[in-house]
Amino acid sequence: MTKHDEGRRAFLVALGAGAAATTALVPEAFAKDQKQHHAATDAPPANRGMPPAMQHMGGGHGAFFNDDDARTVTAFAERLMPGEPGKPGATDADVLNYIDLALAGAYADQQDFYRRGLTQLDAHCSQAYGKPFRRLTAEQQDETIAALEQGKAPAFVWPSAVAFFNTVRTHTMEGMFADPIYGGNKDFAGWRLVGFPGAQPIFTEDDMKSPKAFAREPIVGLQSRAKSKEG
Amino acid sequence: MATEKTDVVIVGVGAAGGIIAAELAKAGMKVIGLERGPRLKTSDFEPHDELRYFERQDLRPNIKTDPVTWRPNTGAHAGPMPVLNNGNQAGGGTVHYGTLSWRMHEDDFRVRTKTVERYGASAIPDDSSLVDWPVSYAELEPFYDKAEYELGVSGKAGNLQGKTIDGGNVFEAPRSREYPMPPLLVDQSAILYEAGAKKLGLHPFPSPRAIASVPYNNRPSCTYCGFCQAFGCHVGAKSSILVTKLPEADASGNFKLVTGAMVYRVNSDNAGNVTGVSYYGPGRSDNTIEADIVIVAPFIYDNTRLMLLSKTDKFPNGLANSSGHLGKHIMAHMMANVFVTFDDRYVNNFMGPSAQKHTIDDFNADNFDHAGLGFIRGAQLSIGTPNLEGGPIAASTIALPPGIPRWGAKYRDFFAKAYARHGAMVAQTENLPYPDQTIDLDPNVRDAWGLPAPRVTYDWRRPNEKARVAFVQNKLMEIGKAMGAPQVWAAPVSPAGAPGAHHEGGTRMGSDPKDSVVNKYSQTWDHPNLFLVGSSTFPTMGTGFNPTLTIQALAYMTADAIVNKYRKNPGPLI
Ligand SMILES: Cc1cc2nc3c(=O)[nH]c(=O)nc-3n(C[C@H](O)[C@H](O)[C@H](O)COP(=O)(O)OP(=O)(O)OC[C@H]3O[C@@H](n4cnc5c(N)ncnc54)[C@H](O)[C@@H]3O)c2cc1C
Repeated sequence: MTKHDEGRRAFLVALGAGAAATTALVPEAFAKDQKQHHAATDAPPANRGMPPAMQHMGGGHGAFFNDDDARTVTAFAERLMPGEPGKPGATDADVLNYIDLALAGAYADQQDFYRRGLTQLDAHCSQAYGKPFRRLTAEQQDETIAALEQGKAPAFVWPSAVAFFNTVRTHTMEGMFADPIYGGNKDFAGWRLVGFPGAQPIFTEDDMKSPKAFAREPIVGLQSRAKSKEG
Repeated sequence: MATEKTDVVIVGVGAAGGIIAAELAKAGMKVIGLERGPRLKTSDFEPHDELRYFERQDLRPNIKTDPVTWRPNTGAHAGPMPVLNNGNQAGGGTVHYGTLSWRMHEDDFRVRTKTVERYGASAIPDDSSLVDWPVSYAELEPFYDKAEYELGVSGKAGNLQGKTIDGGNVFEAPRSREYPMPPLLVDQSAILYEAGAKKLGLHPFPSPRAIASVPYNNRPSCTYCGFCQAFGCHVGAKSSILVTKLPEADASGNFKLVTGAMVYRVNSDNAGNVTGVSYYGPGRSDNTIEADIVIVAPFIYDNTRLMLLSKTDKFPNGLANSSGHLGKHIMAHMMANVFVTFDDRYVNNFMGPSAQKHTIDDFNADNFDHAGLGFIRGAQLSIGTPNLEGGPIAASTIALPPGIPRWGAKYRDFFAKAYARHGAMVAQTENLPYPDQTIDLDPNVRDAWGLPAPRVTYDWRRPNEKARVAFVQNKLMEIGKAMGAPQVWAAPVSPAGAPGAHHEGGTRMGSDPKDSVVNKYSQTWDHPNLFLVGSSTFPTMGTGFNPTLTIQALAYMTADAIVNKYRKNPGPLI
């Protein structure tokens, strides 16, 4: 783990302390998949720094994911929220970085869920296409995600395909739309996509009366609020 | 083990416990409040952070350390509920609630009698335990009034001493005076809803909110930031117990708040009186408080759980359970959602107080004729924010219109366009009480203290309830169309049967010790110095309205009875 990663990790652990880290609002996941599984899986994740080859993905990782996992999660999240010019997607928002940090901190109890989910995902893709998920074409990746969403991926036992899909979707949305301080929503990419102005401390009567887009800058994030609180 | 003596000990200092603490302390009684969570302050709630407070539920009970489990029926496996709808700090749920502050209607207190009168006994499902309340609206009105004025509620009267007033809720019961503050400003979704509902001949009005619309009692007014439901208020405009009753209790000099105090037992003697409580404190210390009066106010799960955990040889089925009704008749509001989107205008519902902003009462309670509909009772129909909170993470959880997938380019484009242009409506349905909807002790799951978790057995999907949900959801569809929205769609309602919001019941109040746990003063029939307060005492849900103002009016009534009657003459109040 690089110094940079240690810093990120310590920061996230601190942020996550006291928070109820849950797979939030995913009934299927809580009803069936909350039981503990202790079967041996991969050794703890390789705490490697970010090799140059990864940097073009724009994704920080290494707090939890290894390189292959990072590629898989990056590709999965990007299919869920694909980017286009003028429409930032998961890679633009650095969703990978968000999930990586969350799994090293606030969501550490879901590491096994991801480890096993990713292993099963590749098992499914090997059966169906002879390749791991990250090497599939975009169309094949879409087919795979649709199969997970519909529970049609028999390689999945625990977590179930549906629970894995739901959780990655939830975490991708969090990475798109949570405050950038958590590592995603880079440069407010997600908030700009949908037109959310952030944690504005006040809206005026004129704001409330307007049926137009709220376009007043700046978008307010925790970083700037924290500063103004100190100052 | 430390032992302390006091006049009154209160378990849980939330919406109800906070009021009783302040009222008794002001009347000169020595009060100790035991609260499992911390005491936060207004400056702790800045800045707002949707991930932390909405998604990760930082102000709510941690489901890992304080689990409540749920199963649809006795044959099913119970697993922890993913979201808990109660408080976890001094002030309880009022710290992060949506602030909807409603009175019930007059007839809601005599719901069985009125239903039989209007539709015949056969209209009530055979397996439902629908009953009249032991208290009337007229008895409660002064306490509703007190709660509105002391805490601070903004709204518009619809019925002043019997005179109907347009623009307020024309279905409301007569109130003795206007709200202490005018309604909050309306947002775009309220304006659209108002127009749509009026087109259909309905009666929309701004929901009453425990938020200062103008400076009130040295508190500033609302900034319309949008972070109410699931958040603490960063200016203290929300009339939470933290900024209303706790300062009063402090000023009395008779109140001591112990935070980080997890009460695990109510102690009793062989004469049948309770003697105090035991709690785990910091560092797992085991402590006991001896008190003349014990008020149990930790919300419905622990109201029942504590009675069961406190069983003795003399009370083998738990305290306050001679009737056998402890832990029964559990109810919850089910949330039926309808969404709309516009092409050509913005709604920006992230502005202004989140949760249910604008409401109609036309299809609530018995405000409409149910003849031939196949169900009784109704719902509060409102427009507000998706999943009751206005940020994009909350919006990413909503059910989607037909033809829109949950992911991919099509979803992204939908969300990018719809987020600031959508309206979120919700029908909050009153569900009937049924004795087989219960809370007991989970034999398999324990909390961080090693205590068995409360286990809820509940399935809302009964014929009467399903018919009601379909009816009110259809009404919202009609309003959505009348609003001129090009796209209107309904979301599925808890397909697995799990309870929705505002859980109630378990220690129902009544007029007969044989079929109820407490009397109308929330005093247990079995132990005159033990009071169980909160929505656990509701014998029916009353309405589709959010319950807290009624919880608080009842808390004021309990405090009044203790100060003015019980203190002079300890014993059964009835
Ligand atoms: C997000 C959200 C929004 C809501 N919005 C609304 C709304 O708009 N309008 C409305 O009417 N209602 C709303 N509610 C419901 C409202 O919060 C509750 O009805 C109300 O707080 C219940 O009051 P109470 O005093 O019974 O319990 P609480 O307010 O929950 O207080 C109970 C207290 O007891 C403590 N406690 C629990 N167990 C123990 C124990 N064993 N030992 C010591 N302490 C204990 C808890 O930490 C808590 O502080 C909302 C709830 C939530 C979660």
